[in-house]
Amino acid sequence: MRRFSVIRIRSLEHLFDLAEKGMTNPYFLAGGTDLLIKIKDDLLIPPFTVLDISGLQELRSIHFEQDYVRIGSLVTHGEIEKHPELRLLFPSLTDACHGVGSPQIRNRATIGGNIGNASPAADSIPPLYVYGAELHLVNSKGERWVKIEDFFTGPGKTIRNPVEIIKEIRIPAEKRDYGTYLRLGQRKALAISKISLALAGKKKNGSMEDVKIALGAVGPTVIMAVETSLYLRGKELSSEVIKEAGNIIEKEAEPITDLRSSKEYRKKMCSTLLVKALTNWKQVA
Amino acid sequence: MKKIKVKVNGKEYVKDIPEYKTLLDFLREDLFLTGTKRGCGAGECGACTVILNGRAVNSCLVLAVECDGAEIKTIEGEGENGKLSPLQEAFQHHHAVQCGFCTPGMVMSARSLLDRVPHPTEEEIKEAIEGNFCRCTGYKQIVEAIIDASRGGS
Repeated sequence: MRRFSVIRIRSLEHLFDLAEKGMTNPYFLAGGTDLLIKIKDDLLIPPFTVLDISGLQELRSIHFEQDYVRIGSLVTHGEIEKHPELRLLFPSLTDACHGVGSPQIRNRATIGGNIGNASPAADSIPPLYVYGAELHLVNSKGERWVKIEDFFTGPGKTIRNPVEIIKEIRIPAEKRDYGTYLRLGQRKALAISKISLALAGKKKNGSMEDVKIALGAVGPTVIMAVETSLYLRGKELSSEVIKEAGNIIEKEAEPITDLRSSKEYRKKMCSTLLVKALTNWKQVA
Repeated sequence: MKKIKVKVNGKEYVKDIPEYKTLLDFLREDLFLTGTKRGCGAGECGACTVILNGRAVNSCLVLAVECDGAEIKTIEGEGENGKLSPLQEAFQHHHAVQCGFCTPGMVMSARSLLDRVPHPTEEEIKEAIEGNFCRCTGYKQIVEAIIDASRGGS
């Protein structure tokens, strides 16, 4: 492996002090499951500095408050998938975290890392879109709250400044009637999603009231299927409605062809996953 | 170089190591615990699985400096007093070892499961070893061995 230096960050103040002094190409080491692979594959151009933030305990907890659930950015996928209260409130998110990598990866990989890496195929991100998550970004100059959909600008690209840290993820503590996350990959474990769909919805008097759908791995960033959501609003979950929603999302999604799938396949699968998600909802309702 | 203190298989070590060294290389090259294997080096195969502070991890994706103060268990800590553990005996009994390269990681993933869930379902076992590739056995014997070990037999 390439030789590099690691600075163990002791506190946010320590990080801000270092940032004020200036650093060459800083990279945060959280769970390390992506960063160390990038280093091994020589994808980072030296010189660079690895900032090991994994010891920042203040970023490791989950808080349930009146209006929000706050998840520290260093909380691992394994901690999220197994959290009973998160499962009740945000099943799409816990499902998604459960599908990431393998137990070994989930025990290390953090939600903040998954967001910061900004892969369009990242599993934890589509559920955060449907639940309306916001990110708390902090640096030595100050702090800001950013809606998840405003954070990403392209594959691997975000509005985050190099020494700005994702401190926590805040999700409105709103109970929905249904939530799910479905993904297609080459196999069950250790496979990047070819396409993924997060869905969360509420019902009122038997009709769907508020259905949010996000699609992963079909564009440069995660996208919301807005037209499909609008179509579903106020409708009952009937077989005809489910079929038509599948047609709409297929037209709405504009995926690309890459080494994992063709555009045509992805379009069809958007429809297939949505039909499956809505059918499952109908069956549990 | 950085100084780290770790407890591996119950024994304490204090070592000076380069910051870029992975836990896997530290175990193999500094502690000479070569039971932990290097497969892909990218978190895909699970051959390097060890238990870090109670959780199974790929030691190729952890830096040794991150382990300062940590407790680690490797395959060398599975048996006691030169005897195989019941889990290892079950692997032997079921012919769950062919070439043997995946076995240390496989046993560590199974150990981490059995420590948390003493009587797992077959589904839980399959999930616990989903990050461990075996290219010989087809997994059947491995799953049977873990089931047997969880029932106290071998």
